Amino acid sequence: MSTVDPITLDIIENALKNARFEMDGVVVRISLSPVIREQHDEFPMICNHRGQMIVGQFGSYIPAIVEQFDGDLNEGDIFVWNDPYACKGSISHNNDWCVMMPIFHEGVLVGFSSIFGHMVDVGGKVPGSMPFDARTIWEEGLRVPPVRIYDKGVLNEGVLAIMLNNSRTPDMNRADLMALIAGCKTAAKRVGELCDRFGRETYMAATDMLLDRTRDAMKVLISKYISEEPVSFTDYVDDDGVGNGPFKMTLSIYMKDGKAVFDWTGTDDQAEGPINFHIHEGLCKLFFGVYMIMAFDPDILFNEGFYDLFEIILPEGSLLNPKFPAALSNRLNTHTRFFDCQAGALGQRAPHLSMAAGYGTSPHFIFTGHDSEGKYFQLMELLFGGVPGRPRGDGLDGHAWWPLFSATPIEYIENYYPVQVDSYRPVKDSGGPGLHRGGAGIEKVYRVLESGKISIHDDREVVPPWGINGGLFGGTSAKWIVRQTTGEKERIPSKIDNLEVEAGDVIIFRTAGSGGWGDPYERPAEEVARDVRYDLVSPEKALEGYGVVLGDDLSLDVAATEKLRAERRAERGEPEPFNFGFTPQSA
Amino acid sequence: MRLGVDVGGTFTDLVLHDESNGRVVQAKTPSTPEDQSIGVANGVKLICEKAGVDPKDISLILHGTTVATNAVLEGKGARVGLLVSEGFEYTLHLAKSWTPGPLFGWIVMDKPEPLASLKDTRGIPERMNARGEIVTPLDREKATALIDDLCSSGIEALTISLMHAYANPEHERALAEIVKERYPDIPVSLSSDILPEFREYDRAITTVMNDYVRPIMKRYLSRIEERLASEGLSSRLHIVRSDGGLMSANAASERPVHTVLSGPAGGVTSTVMIARRTGIRNLLAFDMGGTSTDVSVILDGEPTISRSTEVGSFPAKVPTLDVRSVGAGGGSIADVSELTNSLRVGPRSAGARPGPVSYGRGGTEPAVSDANVVLGYLPPVLLGGDMKLDVDGAREAVGRVGAQLDLGPEEAAQGILDIANEVMLGALRVITVQRGYDPRDFGIVAFGGAGPLHANAMAELLGCYPVVVPTNPGVLSALGFLEAEFKNEFVQTFIRSTKGMDADMVWTRFAELQDKAVEWLDAEEVPTGDRTIRYSLDLRYEQQGFEVTVEIDKATVEARGGLEGVIERFNELHEQLYGVRFHVPVELVALRVVATGATMPVKESIAAVEGSDLADALIETRPSFFKGEWVDTPNYDRAKIPPGVKVPGPAIIRQYDTTTVLLPDHYAELEPHGNLLIWPNSKDA
Repeated sequence: MSTVDPITLDIIENALKNARFEMDGVVVRISLSPVIREQHDEFPMICNHRGQMIVGQFGSYIPAIVEQFDGDLNEGDIFVWNDPYACKGSISHNNDWCVMMPIFHEGVLVGFSSIFGHMVDVGGKVPGSMPFDARTIWEEGLRVPPVRIYDKGVLNEGVLAIMLNNSRTPDMNRADLMALIAGCKTAAKRVGELCDRFGRETYMAATDMLLDRTRDAMKVLISKYISEEPVSFTDYVDDDGVGNGPFKMTLSIYMKDGKAVFDWTGTDDQAEGPINFHIHEGLCKLFFGVYMIMAFDPDILFNEGFYDLFEIILPEGSLLNPKFPAALSNRLNTHTRFFDCQAGALGQRAPHLSMAAGYGTSPHFIFTGHDSEGKYFQLMELLFGGVPGRPRGDGLDGHAWWPLFSATPIEYIENYYPVQVDSYRPVKDSGGPGLHRGGAGIEKVYRVLESGKISIHDDREVVPPWGINGGLFGGTSAKWIVRQTTGEKERIPSKIDNLEVEAGDVIIFRTAGSGGWGDPYERPAEEVARDVRYDLVSPEKALEGYGVVLGDDLSLDVAATEKLRAERRAERGEPEPFNFGFTPQSA
Repeated sequence: MRLGVDVGGTFTDLVLHDESNGRVVQAKTPSTPEDQSIGVANGVKLICEKAGVDPKDISLILHGTTVATNAVLEGKGARVGLLVSEGFEYTLHLAKSWTPGPLFGWIVMDKPEPLASLKDTRGIPERMNARGEIVTPLDREKATALIDDLCSSGIEALTISLMHAYANPEHERALAEIVKERYPDIPVSLSSDILPEFREYDRAITTVMNDYVRPIMKRYLSRIEERLASEGLSSRLHIVRSDGGLMSANAASERPVHTVLSGPAGGVTSTVMIARRTGIRNLLAFDMGGTSTDVSVILDGEPTISRSTEVGSFPAKVPTLDVRSVGAGGGSIADVSELTNSLRVGPRSAGARPGPVSYGRGGTEPAVSDANVVLGYLPPVLLGGDMKLDVDGAREAVGRVGAQLDLGPEEAAQGILDIANEVMLGALRVITVQRGYDPRDFGIVAFGGAGPLHANAMAELLGCYPVVVPTNPGVLSALGFLEAEFKNEFVQTFIRSTKGMDADMVWTRFAELQDKAVEWLDAEEVPTGDRTIRYSLDLRYEQQGFEVTVEIDKATVEARGGLEGVIERFNELHEQLYGVRFHVPVELVALRVVATGATMPVKESIAAVEGSDLADALIETRPSFFKGEWVDTPNYDRAKIPPGVKVPGPAIIRQYDTTTVLLPDHYAELEPHGNLLIWPNSKDA
């Protein structure tokens, strides 16, 4: 391998980072669906000629696709797919349409650009294509194996027509797909320019060196924080939507033969319902890597260079390695719990760098029907919740655990859909107590203005988000419907599809909070009192969780607080490393 | 006589223009951050003495100020009360729920306190729907009680931002009446006035930001007026808006949020001037200062306007010149990452204190300026002679960073510059290629203290020629203010599909906005002949999240015909910007009317240079590092370069307020307006 001087290398790194953000910009501007545009549910990357991600955030799936075409790649080819089983789990449910483009420079393959984004609807038995009660993937919409949507620059109209014909929202999907393609083309153009500027050989050598550089950094981190003696962590997904659960997920981490092993042995068998997470092994590696990078040095370029340092064990037929045709659409609960286990296990070796558990999924609200003019509408919205207590400070109330997502403006929703939001606020007492308080969940109250059907997908209704390093667990999620006819408040489950609603009915949607970080008795009492004044914590919780005594006017009683805290500390002793708030019935 | 005043972090720059003889006088005085008006008054005194004019003869003062920006960035604004619709008290606290990327970005996110505290927020029982119809009537009795509670708690300003107030401001106005009656001293801003557009968080934060800076701006402006009066000035004071327009001091104290990008606006306006005078109609403005670099696009002699900007972590949806800022400047610090051994430049900055190592004020970490010193681009003594640079110190500091990468001091210095250039290049690319413009169709105007040091390298990377170094790059902003025009924008959000729409609904609304515009022009006393009114529609494909602004000429508005032409223009623009057009209905989002009042152009007379021999301009020949080797490089005094002579590169061109690096394979020449142009030799090949 030829070497590239360190400066050129840094320039290429910066240029690729710029190109990757340019991809986001292009996609967000062109797409039509609020899920991609307002909430940014799209993930771009730029890879080298072997398909290894150099910049981006999800990575890893290119070689599995290239293999299927025996390496027959041509300039102007663009591939598309959405079937998780046909791409070794590179994407994990049918809603994600993935676009991939080989990049050529003077006829030589120099890399790939790729983006996947969440389509509002890809067919199947329910609007939104994520039936909570699916038992096979056949119920979850059209499955497209990797195919050429552009063949040497020529659009394959047939493939596009089939894909759009199987969606309830063809116009949106068309625009969103074109947005993803435009994003990939942008990246291809930038990579071509870099090859022109520095020479193709230099560019390609540089991409290898960027991988090596991240690998070297990861090697240091691994040797520092992973030992031969295993650390384990167990967390649970509430249920699979069809009456089974909770589902156990267990992760053990240890060094073996110079590799860091991430072993999921002990994780429950695949579920009957659609919470199975068919994850690509490479993605697992990436997720561990990015967590380490973000916790230790966020400026390290995040890429696939360190893959050979990791080994992943995913028991066959388990939640994380399900057999075809297991249903997959609601895998986000499992996906997020994957991250919770990772934080819990890695945190034990470096408590000062550990994070508590968050709201634990990506809560969805879907409302469909026909308006007064007979026009079909389909509102799909992602909600947010408590972002965990962390070493840096308090968790964030009602914020996105997922990167770069943001809430759709309520005025936007009310302009386009027959719904009125009555209130939108953090859920009191849902942030787990801690030196750094866990973030609170969200309560959004929807009043539907037309009859129709609603679907809800959420989790952490049973198993709360745990606290860490002495921090306590946070609040669970909950949903109610208040029927206009009766005025009665009726609890509804966290996973439900096509619930009939009438104009005037109200849905109260509460997401989970998150766990606290550190000993709550160490939290400055004045901050607890402030949270009470802001109606984020109740006076009762201040007393019970933090040992903070407030007067009737919510003023802080300093003396009584100090006395109570001293007593509580003596009684409790050293705090537990984890606080779960949940005991499985059969351990 | 007109006076332009630009208050920067370190210096207050002033430029005086005498229309009667075309004379332009400049002055510089230290800024006084504790109270900027002191520095301004000092500067006015100084420039009047220097020019030998009577302060009374100054008719207009045009002032760009960072008072509003600094208050937000430093968290030193007023205590703002906030009235919202009941149920939406946490709008600012939840801040759209956004967290940064990549995955786990929240681990390192720092979220600032909202500009209006939760303890100063009250939910009012009332509600409008998206069509502006009342869903829940305003409960005046409860509202009054809540207002009493809030307004007697010590707030300094009040924001009223209710759901869908852009569609019907009735409730906001009713609340304002109640406040006015009971608390006449508390200034009130309505979201329906400040930003009548949908998206509740953006509207609320923008309006709150207005109130957050309002008491400060008001105090500042009245102090300035007092001080100027005591210096004997009776001139009208105008403030430069973020979009480069002017507003009266009075308007600025009511709507200071419109001044958050007042500072950088001058440089852009100047670049517009340069574009119009030199006939180079497409230019990139490249303003490289100590801690950051601001870039923007001038397209066919017009600046580009953006609908929103960010001040620190907060969005502000006000029309601004589309200026991109990146954290790379002369003071940006270079270091080596421990884990990956990669060289990084910025965003950390040495600032004015301690400053780069070469300034000899105690700085120890090498900055971009130090790299320029090491390579012999910045001379050891700056022209004017009052500042000596510590060359050995810079070399040692840069060498230390280089040693970690097995690089010599020269290679490390070159690396620091290359990486800083790459970061700035990213910003230039965002405003050109990302918008569908080819940078090779543009020239680049270099200003700010460090701009001319780097501009030639930027041009080489992007292919944007010529590099234009103006006569006075150090005071370009203040000069730009002199040519700013009066400007105000009148907007109406009107979300409706254009499919089957009665076009009259658009024309009627345009007529209403036009009436408001004329009323404003009257109030600002803009003479009829100087007035311009422009019309535009914000359009998008149905349900798309971003709008494309389509200009409409006056004749079309007055003809009140169909909208087909406008929609076709939108399709064309969308295709040009994003490479694709869709066959779905087009939706109207907002109507805009922009009123402007022209000001007289500055006619600058240029001092003639005697002789025609470049050798007369030579100060000395000293080594500079180009293309991997030391080259004996001539250093010229810009003021002595004769017109019409080609200066071959490499060369260093020095002047009072900046230093220009002319790279090998390039040449420089003066054009008739006194600007220095740099071209690649290949241009003439």
